[in-house]
Amino acid sequence: MATAQSDPGPGDIRPPTGTDAGGLDFAASLARSFAASLNVDATVGQALASIIHLLETEAGSLFLLDDKGETLVCRASAGPVKIDGLAVPMGQGIVGLTVAEDRLTFVENAYEDKNFFRAADERTGFVTRSILCAPMRVGEKLIGAVQVLNKISGQPFDSRDGNMLQVMANAAALAISNARLADQLVEQERIRRELELAAEIQRNLLPVPDDDLPICGINRPIREVSGDFYDYFELPDGTIAFALGDVSGKGMNAALLMAKTASLFRCLGKTIRDPARLLSILNREICETTSRGMFVTMVAGLYEPSTGTLRYANAGHLPPLIKFPDRLYETLAPEAPPLGILRETQFVDHEINLNGGLFVAFSDGITEFRHGEEELGTDGLSLLLEYAHDRPLAQRLASVLSDLDQGGWQARDDLTILAIDDRSAGRAWQREHVEQPPAPTEAEFLFGITFPAEPSRLKLMRPAIRAAARACQFEDEEIQDLLLAAGEAVENIMVHAYGGGTKGEITLAVHRLPDGILLRLRDFAPRVDTGKIEPRPLEEVRPGGLGTHFIRAIMDDATFIPLPDGEGNLLELVKRRRSAGVANGGEAGTERFGETGDSKDRD
Amino acid sequence: MSVSNIKEVQGRIVVSLAGEIDLENAGEVRKALLAALKQKKDLLVDLADVDYIDSSGIASLVEGLQVARKQKNELSLVAVSPRALRVLELARLDKVFSIYPDVTAAFAARP
Repeated sequence: MATAQSDPGPGDIRPPTGTDAGGLDFAASLARSFAASLNVDATVGQALASIIHLLETEAGSLFLLDDKGETLVCRASAGPVKIDGLAVPMGQGIVGLTVAEDRLTFVENAYEDKNFFRAADERTGFVTRSILCAPMRVGEKLIGAVQVLNKISGQPFDSRDGNMLQVMANAAALAISNARLADQLVEQERIRRELELAAEIQRNLLPVPDDDLPICGINRPIREVSGDFYDYFELPDGTIAFALGDVSGKGMNAALLMAKTASLFRCLGKTIRDPARLLSILNREICETTSRGMFVTMVAGLYEPSTGTLRYANAGHLPPLIKFPDRLYETLAPEAPPLGILRETQFVDHEINLNGGLFVAFSDGITEFRHGEEELGTDGLSLLLEYAHDRPLAQRLASVLSDLDQGGWQARDDLTILAIDDRSAGRAWQREHVEQPPAPTEAEFLFGITFPAEPSRLKLMRPAIRAAARACQFEDEEIQDLLLAAGEAVENIMVHAYGGGTKGEITLAVHRLPDGILLRLRDFAPRVDTGKIEPRPLEEVRPGGLGTHFIRAIMDDATFIPLPDGEGNLLELVKRRRSAGVANGGEAGTERFGETGDSKDRD
Repeated sequence: MSVSNIKEVQGRIVVSLAGEIDLENAGEVRKALLAALKQKKDLLVDLADVDYIDSSGIASLVEGLQVARKQKNELSLVAVSPRALRVLELARLDKVFSIYPDVTAAFAARP
C-alpha cells in the first residue's frame, strides 16, 4: 500500500478480506460484474454496497474525479440518504483532501474537524460521526475516493478498517478503470472496423500486380486509409495507362477524394488517349464537386511497351524521376497547378522515349522519409533504386521501402511509388549488364557474310536476309518489316559506329529459330555508348533516331551483347513469326509483342 | 533508281520516286525535293513505285515537308505504295503528311 496509514499493531491479525489476495478476489468479482453489464455506474453501486457491508458502516459514498481532474462527483451512495451527483472541488472537504493529498484519512469526530463539509448533513438530516476515506488509484493515476461513515458498532475506525478500505478502494479503482477502458475499446473497435472496411475498399481500387507488365506500384498508407493512389491498366492495343496522385491532407476526407479521383481516372483513362486532356476533365470535375481547400496532385500518362514511348502530363505533382541507361537519374520539370484549384487550368503533354530506361513517379511521403534531421529527397530515392537495379521491378520497389524501414527511417506520410521499367518491356534494347548468353542451342546457323560498311552494300544484303526469312517461314509482310529493321541496324553501324566512313567491316550471321529468326551484327568500331542511341520523340517532325524506333517496333528483341575484349559491338536481333506466337501459345513476352508490335493489325 | 521522274502539272511539281530508297540514295531524293521546292510551288511526291524505303528516305521526305511549310508551300504524298505506307505508319507520320490516292485526288482536294 502506497498510502500513509498507521501500522497495524503487533497483535493485529488481518482478516482474509483485508489481505491483498482478498482484494484481488474482490476486484475479480467486480470485473466479472463489469464484464456482464459493461456499465460503470451499476458496478460502482455494487462495489460500494459490498464495501459498507464488509466494513459494517451506516453509509458510504464513492466519488470519481472528472476529466479535468478538478472536481470529484459522487457516482454512488449507500445508506439512509442519497448524495449521488454531489460535486466536491479537489482539495476541499474530507474527500477532496484525501484525493489531493493521496492518503487514507481517519476522522474520529466529524463535527470537530475543520475540513468536514457540514452542508451535506444539514441538507439531508444525516448525522455524520466518524469518517474513513480512501483514495482510489490505478498505478500512479488518482481516479477518485471512497468514504464510509459511522461504524454501526459506534466504534471509531481503526487501522484494520483502514487497510480493508484501501485494499477494496484499489480493487474498485482497477475495476472501474478497466470498465472505462472496455468502453473505449468498444468504441475504438467500432471505428477500427469501419476504417478497415474503408482501407479494404481503397486497396481494391489499386491495380492487381501483373508480373507480365513492365509497370508496378506500391501504396502504403501512414494511417489506415490513404490519401495517395496509383493505378495502371492495359488498353486493348497493349498501351498501358497509368496515374499516381496525392490528395491534400490525410484521413477520411482525403481518402474519399482519393477514391473519387482514382475511379474517375480508371473510367476516363479507358477512352481518353491524351493525358493532358484527361487531367483537364478530372480538374473540372474535382473543381465542381469538391469541398474548398482540397486538391489533388497527379501525374497521368500512357506508355507503349512495344516502342518505349511514354506520354505524360503533370498536375502539380512532384516531378517524376527518369533514368536512361548509362546516365544519371534526372527529374522531369514540374508542371501546371494541382487538380481542384483553377477550373480553366491548361495541362501539357510531354513525350519521351524511355529507351530501355526507368520512369518513377512517387508521392512526397517517399522523399520526406526522415532519419533524424535528414530527409531522403530525390537523390536518396535515386540511390536506393540504383542499389537494386538488377532486381525485377516489383522487388526493386519493395526493396526501397524495406531498406528505409530497416535503416531506421521514419515515414511521415502515405507512401506511394509507381515505376515503369522499359528494360523489362520485352524488347531489351539496351541492357546494362547482360551476361554473354550461351549460343542459343535451338538456333540453326544459316549463313554469314562480311561486307564493308558502305551504304551500297545494303541492297546486296537485303536479298540474302529475305531468302533466309522465307526459309524461316515468315510471311511477306513480316519479311518486309524484318528487312527494314535489319537495314536500320546496319545503317546505324555505318553512320554512328563507323562515323559514316568506309574503313570498317560488318559481319552478319543469320540463324533460324524454331519460331523465328536471329540476326547477329558484329562491327569493329569503337564501343557504342548505348545511352546515346535515342529514338526520336515521335511527335517531333525531325529526322534522326527514327531507325532505332523502327528496330524497336519491329523486332521482338534487340540487344547489345558485351564482347569480352577488343573493339567492336555485337547486336543481336530476334524476330519471331507472328503465327508462331499464336500456334504454341508462346511465352508471355512473345505473345504480348505479337499483339502490340505489328501496328498494321490494329490500324 | 530513286527519283524516276519530275514534271510540272497545273502549277504543281510532281516528283516520282521508285525502287529501293535507303542510305545509299536517300541523298538523291533529298536533293531532288529541295531543288524542286526552290521554285516555290506545291509539291506532290508520288510513291507508287517505291518497293523499299527506310528511315533515311523518310528523313528526306520530312526535311522536304519542313522546308515546304516554312515557305508556305504544300508537300503531299500521292499513290503511296503499301510498303511505303507501312513505314510511314510505323513512324507515325501517316497523319503528318497529307496523303492522296493519286494526283487527281490531290488536285480535287486542293484545287
